[in-house]
Amino acid sequence: MFEFLFKYPLSIYRQGTFIFLAGWPLWLMGLGILVAAGALGFLIWRQASGTARMGVVRRASIWVLQTALAALLLFLIWHPALSVSTLKPQQNIVAVVIDDSTSMTTDDETSTRKEKAVKVLDGGLLKALQEKFQVRLYRMSDHAERIDKLDQLTANATATHIGESLKQVAADASSLPIGAMILLSDGSDNTGGVDLETLSEIRRQRIPVHTIGLGKETMSRDVEISNVDVAARALPESRLAATVSFHQHGYTGQKAKITLREGSRIVANQDVTLKAEGTEQVETVLFNAGAAGVKTLEASIDPFPNEENPRNNRVTRLVNVDPRKPRILYMEGEPRWEFKFLKRAVEDDKTLDVASILRTAPNKLYRQGVCRPGDTAHPQVNGKCTEMEDGFPTKIEDLFAFDGIIFGSVDAPYLTKNQQDMVKQFVDRRGGGVLFLGGKDSLSDGGWAKSAAADILPTTLPDRKNTYSFAGADVELTPEGRDSLITRIEEDPNKNVERWKKLPYIRTFQDPGDPKLGAVVLANFIPREGGGAKRPLLVTMNYGRGRTAIFATGGSWRWQMLQPVADMSHEMFYRQLLRWVVSDTPRHITGSTPKTLLADESHVRLRAEVRDKTFLPASDAIVEAHINGDGVSEQVVNMTPEPLEQGVYGADWTAPQTGSYIVEVVAKRGSEEIGKDTFTFRREDGIAENFHVEQNRELLEKLSAETGGQYYKPGDAQKLGKDINYSQAGITVRETRDLWDMPAIFLLFLGIRGAEWLLRRRWGVI
Amino acid sequence: MRLRTALLIVAVLCGCWGLLHAQKPFREYDTVEGHAESAIPPDANVPHEWTRARLMYRDYTGFGRFGFRRGGGSWTIDYPRSDRHLLYGVKRLTRIDSRAVEQPVALDNSDDVYNWPTLYAVEVGHWELNSEEAAQLRDFLNRGGFLMVDDFHANAEWGVFLEGIKQVFPDREIVDLPKAEPIFHTLYDLDDKYQIPGAQFLRSGLTYEKDESGRPEHWRGIYDDKGRIVVAICHNMDLGDAWEWSDEPEYPAEWANMAYRIAMNYFVYDLTH
Repeated sequence: MFEFLFKYPLSIYRQGTFIFLAGWPLWLMGLGILVAAGALGFLIWRQASGTARMGVVRRASIWVLQTALAALLLFLIWHPALSVSTLKPQQNIVAVVIDDSTSMTTDDETSTRKEKAVKVLDGGLLKALQEKFQVRLYRMSDHAERIDKLDQLTANATATHIGESLKQVAADASSLPIGAMILLSDGSDNTGGVDLETLSEIRRQRIPVHTIGLGKETMSRDVEISNVDVAARALPESRLAATVSFHQHGYTGQKAKITLREGSRIVANQDVTLKAEGTEQVETVLFNAGAAGVKTLEASIDPFPNEENPRNNRVTRLVNVDPRKPRILYMEGEPRWEFKFLKRAVEDDKTLDVASILRTAPNKLYRQGVCRPGDTAHPQVNGKCTEMEDGFPTKIEDLFAFDGIIFGSVDAPYLTKNQQDMVKQFVDRRGGGVLFLGGKDSLSDGGWAKSAAADILPTTLPDRKNTYSFAGADVELTPEGRDSLITRIEEDPNKNVERWKKLPYIRTFQDPGDPKLGAVVLANFIPREGGGAKRPLLVTMNYGRGRTAIFATGGSWRWQMLQPVADMSHEMFYRQLLRWVVSDTPRHITGSTPKTLLADESHVRLRAEVRDKTFLPASDAIVEAHINGDGVSEQVVNMTPEPLEQGVYGADWTAPQTGSYIVEVVAKRGSEEIGKDTFTFRREDGIAENFHVEQNRELLEKLSAETGGQYYKPGDAQKLGKDINYSQAGITVRETRDLWDMPAIFLLFLGIRGAEWLLRRRWGVI
Repeated sequence: MRLRTALLIVAVLCGCWGLLHAQKPFREYDTVEGHAESAIPPDANVPHEWTRARLMYRDYTGFGRFGFRRGGGSWTIDYPRSDRHLLYGVKRLTRIDSRAVEQPVALDNSDDVYNWPTLYAVEVGHWELNSEEAAQLRDFLNRGGFLMVDDFHANAEWGVFLEGIKQVFPDREIVDLPKAEPIFHTLYDLDDKYQIPGAQFLRSGLTYEKDESGRPEHWRGIYDDKGRIVVAICHNMDLGDAWEWSDEPEYPAEWANMAYRIAMNYFVYDLTH
């Protein structure tokens, strides 16, 4: 329609420059329009004055229409035209880039995308191009590769890097007269799109990239896992959550099964009902981390029988189950049932090591879990253990040897100002976790609001005493608590909420004040008597490199005593809470990589954060990464300091083949070893192309628009034969195209005259 | 009217259910020993973190058989004077936040006993447990409760105790506690323990009761599967009298002293294991 009305395709208007061929100055046209308007106004006013049927509004309407007609005539007299550059026939090259990745094998009902691309080219487009230009064919994967014939296309490349491929073709243009590029693709780029640098490079050479989009923009019947989020590290036997995000088309309301596998062993599965078409659905599947070691987990959704692309129903993730046993220091100010039952709840947890100091009498301490066998830092001397014999650690390195701290009913002044500051640094600098329990000497009643550690508390403590009540309170989860692993004592989230409602009431509670910004309330308590308002019971917060929590009761032991022996809710809650306290506490060395799964790529960035004994960044360390992989002999990579981050070291490495890799990072200062850490990553090929197989029309349109090209559907692709002539790249010649005879002007002329005639007829003044 | 009646019945039933499942308030019962009476402290109803419960049980001799839950019977021996003295000692000698008064509890198939995880039973050479009571006591101990028994002497009373405790734990062994057992070292190092006679010594001059098998004293216990003492057995001694008569000038202070130390250690052990 556009071309019918305006004589030429829209692309010419976009490429070309509008000009007037008459050569007269434009101001003269403006002046002519003004003179015509004045003259017409005068004549219309004179003729109509005295005619009752021609009022002011009617005269003005006639004047506007006639002035527009005069302006149109003047516009045509000035001879409007388009100046466009066109490619010189037979002197330019057109690069035809054809996506040759696996996604091109996707069957869009009538044919595969590769077949469709061949059909478009063989259906006349290639011949039309070859009549005017030299045509170069390229197959595109993670790079562009020249081919001679279309039958060299295989559609088995494991990656699509559009930007990289176009950049490569554009580089040819520096020595060849490439006038335009034609990209036939579904736009499924594995790098996430075309970067600005590539776009700038193509724009600089003024090469229009015309795109022909292949494939459905929306699948008819498909389920695709878009992401699986799972912790990269975990403690042995800990409960983990795999957050599976997916979307579907064609199966709304149907049941599907999410399965987590480690090898051939199913570790968890969950039935789900598929939500609305195209919307992102997120489901959490809980599973046990199992014994120490590197776990390759596959999350999958069982394919439906007629699913178009079953290859995007599974995703792999790595979990490094760390054999370490984090150590927690439990400081308790008085012998009480909460102390007893907390320790009993976690004593069977092989992943946690709890040492405790209990103030049994005003001048006596009772220590448990100290000087463990094999503890070289605290050997027993003549059968006597000296570890923490004077109470809470006074040296920062002694405190920082722990991964977490629990403060029971301990008043802040029991610790010196220096010890309070150490507790703050324990969270902020060391990255440890601290749990504060309710008690008669805890929180506000223990003077913590005015302590040096007040900042790390997840709530602003009330500015008063007597916040601890020996009265029963019921407990309910908040929406955040519903989703938290800490409070998950039943697998099913809804059953879990109900389970919490049925827990015996807690015997005591303490008002912890209001949550600070960034704190998360997981559970509230509701006093059973006196009509007290709902207050936060379990509050967590991240602070600095670490995390803190308040569990504002000393009476959760009733969950153990008032429920059957087989009920594990009390044990599970405390184990999960304490694991949360310590599971992310870093060691002196923390090794990592941004991506633990290299999908169709081989480059990996290694990173190590190195801290000294007091957990200050160590910038003078010698850091090495020892990399071992399946069938790859150990390689040692020297890591160098990152310029902008203190104590952080990095290195690039290329994984030579697919498989899992284990990296041990070792940091030394001279001959002294600061520490070591192990992490893993995995390289897999042939993965990326299975995902996002819908046509990415947005990317293709953007690419065309940014480069001066145009997006075509396969059915319209034959028009390219004409449109491609207009380009500023290659060897071009400037041409002018008349615009005065385009049908739109004729129709406009008729429209103005017709409108005046119709108005006059209506008013009876013809 | 019918609806109102139905609602009333439901409300009453809910109230009863709540009472059965809630912690019962403090109540004092009649004691079998007149001299053991003690004034209720003014702060008796002030709640605290901890108190020691006293087990109300049926006496095998028939003494107080039909009304033991209303007071009287062997379970009230030394009660409540002994308890009040002891709890005052707990407050003074430890950092346990103890209530001023004890909590008598019965194995009555309600949830009440589970609210008081530290339990003491006196004169268990006279107790009688039926199968339901034994099952509830077993359940109490398996959930994490702690039982200390005291003031029973010689072989005959040991046999009665054994009959009861074997109903609770048919397969668990009763063992002599070694000196190194942590229960003797939680607060005080009690390596040198000795028999603690009751107040009868003031009349008889004997440090033991019943017959020759009433000596020496036995520090025994029953462990759970994780090596924790869940039943602490003080046989051939009368700690209850020692606490009760600790303010009596004629009662030897060293015995009272040891009785208090034993109790403090046992309670701290319970609260740490």
